[in-house]
Amino acid sequence: MSDFTKPYTSATQAGLLLVPTLVVLVAFLYYPAVETLRLSFFQTLLLGTKQQFVGLDNYVALATSAEYQKSILVSFLFAAAVVVGALVASLFISYLLFEVKAGASGYLLAAIWPYALPTAVAGTILLFMLHPTLGIITHYLEALTGLTFDWFTSGPLAFFVLVVVAVWKQLGYNIIFLVAALNNIPETLTESAQLDGVGRLTMLYRVYIPLISPTLTFLVVMNTIYAFFGAFPLVDLMTSGGPNNATNLLIFKLYRDAFEFSSLGQASAESMILFGIVSLLMYVQLRFSDRHAHYGA
Amino acid sequence: MATQTESTQHTEPTQETQRSSLSARFEGDLFVHLALVGSIFLVGLPLILAVIMSTQSTTEIYEVTNLGVGSAGLSNYETALTEYNLMQYMVNSVVMSVVIVVGKVTLSLLAALALVYYRFPYERAVFTFILLTLLVPVPVRIVPLFQLMADLGWANSLLAITGPYIASATAVFLFRQHFTSIPESLVENARLDGVGPLAFLVQVLIPMSKGMIAGVSVITFIYAWNQYLWPLIVVSDQSKQVIQVGIKFLQGASQSGLTEWGLIMAGAVIALLPPLFVLIVLHRPLLETFAIQQK
Repeated sequence: MSDFTKPYTSATQAGLLLVPTLVVLVAFLYYPAVETLRLSFFQTLLLGTKQQFVGLDNYVALATSAEYQKSILVSFLFAAAVVVGALVASLFISYLLFEVKAGASGYLLAAIWPYALPTAVAGTILLFMLHPTLGIITHYLEALTGLTFDWFTSGPLAFFVLVVVAVWKQLGYNIIFLVAALNNIPETLTESAQLDGVGRLTMLYRVYIPLISPTLTFLVVMNTIYAFFGAFPLVDLMTSGGPNNATNLLIFKLYRDAFEFSSLGQASAESMILFGIVSLLMYVQLRFSDRHAHYGA
Repeated sequence: MATQTESTQHTEPTQETQRSSLSARFEGDLFVHLALVGSIFLVGLPLILAVIMSTQSTTEIYEVTNLGVGSAGLSNYETALTEYNLMQYMVNSVVMSVVIVVGKVTLSLLAALALVYYRFPYERAVFTFILLTLLVPVPVRIVPLFQLMADLGWANSLLAITGPYIASATAVFLFRQHFTSIPESLVENARLDGVGPLAFLVQVLIPMSKGMIAGVSVITFIYAWNQYLWPLIVVSDQSKQVIQVGIKFLQGASQSGLTEWGLIMAGAVIALLPPLFVLIVLHRPLLETFAIQQK
């Protein structure tokens, strides 16, 4: 770009072209984000009509609340389970798509369709299919295992169901990126290993995974963000945070505190904590991958 | 790579091992096909079941293991669309998604034009300022954003569900990347001919960016269609609601104490069709755009 002569020089025109984007970003992104920080130091009364400065009280109240502590724990476990589950499942399918010789493009479309699956639709469909008494999948699962699968009353089972739905919805997105990454590997890097007759799984583990690690890191970050922010419809439609708060993810608790209980100050503090957690996780994941990823390809 | 240096020490494979590895290859391919068909079937199974059961009457649904096409036919779809107002929610969702797509593409093209083809002070700072917004998704600013909508008098309006989404760091980034890859000779020609910036955008840049525009549009459409939390909060007038929240209203549907799951499945299928259609039709530009995003 440095030796490229830009054809236009009017700063006023440039400003005019940028104004629509900047106005929207300032009004709807920057301003509310800063306002969230300010509100988190206030207590709102009478449905938000009165504000009283309370310093760090909202944060202290959250830090000492057993319900909130559990919500943090549940969200972390959920994110970990979703990231691992979604990446393992999508890596398995992507590798098959990469290895298959005939019909690859047809298979690809049949595998990535969940990218178009809205989260609320995924939740609604599996709410019924896994329904403890009416769900056909539950029916055969119970017939096969002899266990009862009543996730309406069991916290751990409800948590597990949410993870399954979240993973299902995320498969398409992950597969798109993984297949692209696998196909981008220069053949010179892999053909010698192939000639050696190394088994498929060994190839995946020893050769391909290190080569696509930048993509894997990217997906770990994106799936973490998805697990913390994007799973809201699943909780709202399937469990309402229960049973016994086992699926009370931070995003759901935040929604409830803000819009059901009108604790706007506390909800803002929850927003800030959520922002802090996700930023920190992103930072750690990127630092970790900087140290361990192979950027050879 | 370690594997490469190791392999040079091995001798060339003999004919015999080549033949046996060939048949192993064939068996391996068969395995790959079977595993693929199996996984794709498993991933698609809940949807297939939902489509089947969306045709069943409530009595058939309560038989649980009934896997036949039901007697309700398309009547569940009809009831969902008319009596439960899904038609209205679908229209609202289409309008919302199209406005977001058009708005985001237009605004981002203009911003990218300025960032790539204009010399102006603080270029990098402006670009960074745009990119940093990636850090603040809706949940981080939801309370003040909601209050802002109320203050602006936008609650329950199309403005509220589209406005916050029509500017995007990702789209600006992608268009900027793409513009920098356009041959300089074209830009030079335009400059020599004295083509104005907007004419340059319309006559040169947009035709050269069709794939990228299509890709960003698909991504944005699917993203907009998926919105749930924000419309749930900012739209309280049911007739203005979008389809994703609309299928939540269906959950209450029951007939003499029995939940009408056939009807609910029909609603879920309806809510999936538009983004699925868009994905199938435009999957090529989508895949190409994602490939660029990653670099």
